[in-house]
Amino acid sequence: MGASATLPRAYNMAVADRDGHDLQDAIRERKRALDQFFLSVERKAFRIAQLSLRHEDDALDAVQDAMLQLARAYGARPAEEWKPLFYRILENRVRDMQRRRAVRAKIMAWLPFRGGDEGEAEDDPIAQVPSPAAGPVTQLEQAEAMGALEGVLGRLPARQRQAFLLRSFEGLDVAQTAKAMGCSEGSVKTHYFRAVHALRSEMAEYAT
Amino acid sequence: MNTTHDPDSDAAGGPAVERARELLAQSVEHLDGRVRSRLTQARHAALEEIEQRRGARAWTSWVPAGAAAAIAVMAVTMWSQAPREVAPQARNAVVLEDIELLADGEMFDLSEEDFDFYEWAANEAETDGDEREG
Repeated sequence: MGASATLPRAYNMAVADRDGHDLQDAIRERKRALDQFFLSVERKAFRIAQLSLRHEDDALDAVQDAMLQLARAYGARPAEEWKPLFYRILENRVRDMQRRRAVRAKIMAWLPFRGGDEGEAEDDPIAQVPSPAAGPVTQLEQAEAMGALEGVLGRLPARQRQAFLLRSFEGLDVAQTAKAMGCSEGSVKTHYFRAVHALRSEMAEYAT
Repeated sequence: MNTTHDPDSDAAGGPAVERARELLAQSVEHLDGRVRSRLTQARHAALEEIEQRRGARAWTSWVPAGAAAAIAVMAVTMWSQAPREVAPQARNAVVLEDIELLADGEMFDLSEEDFDFYEWAANEAETDGDEREG
């Protein structure tokens, strides 16, 4: 009698313990997968945000917000959905920042004293130190080509730039890019085609 | 002008696009230490968020049990402080006791000595009874 009475309780405890461990294992696994995902996208995401915002710290903030938002709202979604969702969130964040910046610029234009933090990055001597990875001539050529590329990308309409960067730089396919941009696949193809057309004509001299 | 395009041919994009892709890849490789550090911090903060949300979820899972316990405590407290209904038998016993008291000659003498006190006591008893019934 005593043994039969304690058996279900012991069984239940074992099941609860097993379920608890299963849950912990699942969360640990999810964290590991997200960590890998963030590692795989963070640098490209930063560059994409930077090319749109043209400000390093704002781009870093945008990437951080996108990571937090993805972990918070979509961490439980299947891993294959993360990339388009992440870039969708990032793009929204970038747009918010651009809007806020435009409002701030309008307000600042009316103020007599304009405290500028825009030039801080340029004045920072550490930020001015060139990368030691390449020789000076190569570095100069690359810097020049990169400057031209940034100029071309900066002049592109936002949707074309986004389509180009997501397809060519991040390597998303048309369907994923459409999800990330919140538009149809046909629109992605159109934006991408126009971006490529502009790049071909303006980057021809830098193409080796 | 035909604006739609075959995505497979887009993927190649010609030498200009290839060069753009190369430049972008290089720029990512050579990000400075400050940016890399900030990205690592951002990643850790996002992963920390999962842990915190899990903790918050575990805490909120106790809320229904806590609410049930609080309701039970309130119910017990209200029940224990509620005025008791006087049983009819007990009420009859009090009446008989009063009759005995009045019938007792000795006690009546006492009542004559301190009539004001008994009047006050009767008023108090009445007021107390009204309050209980109300």
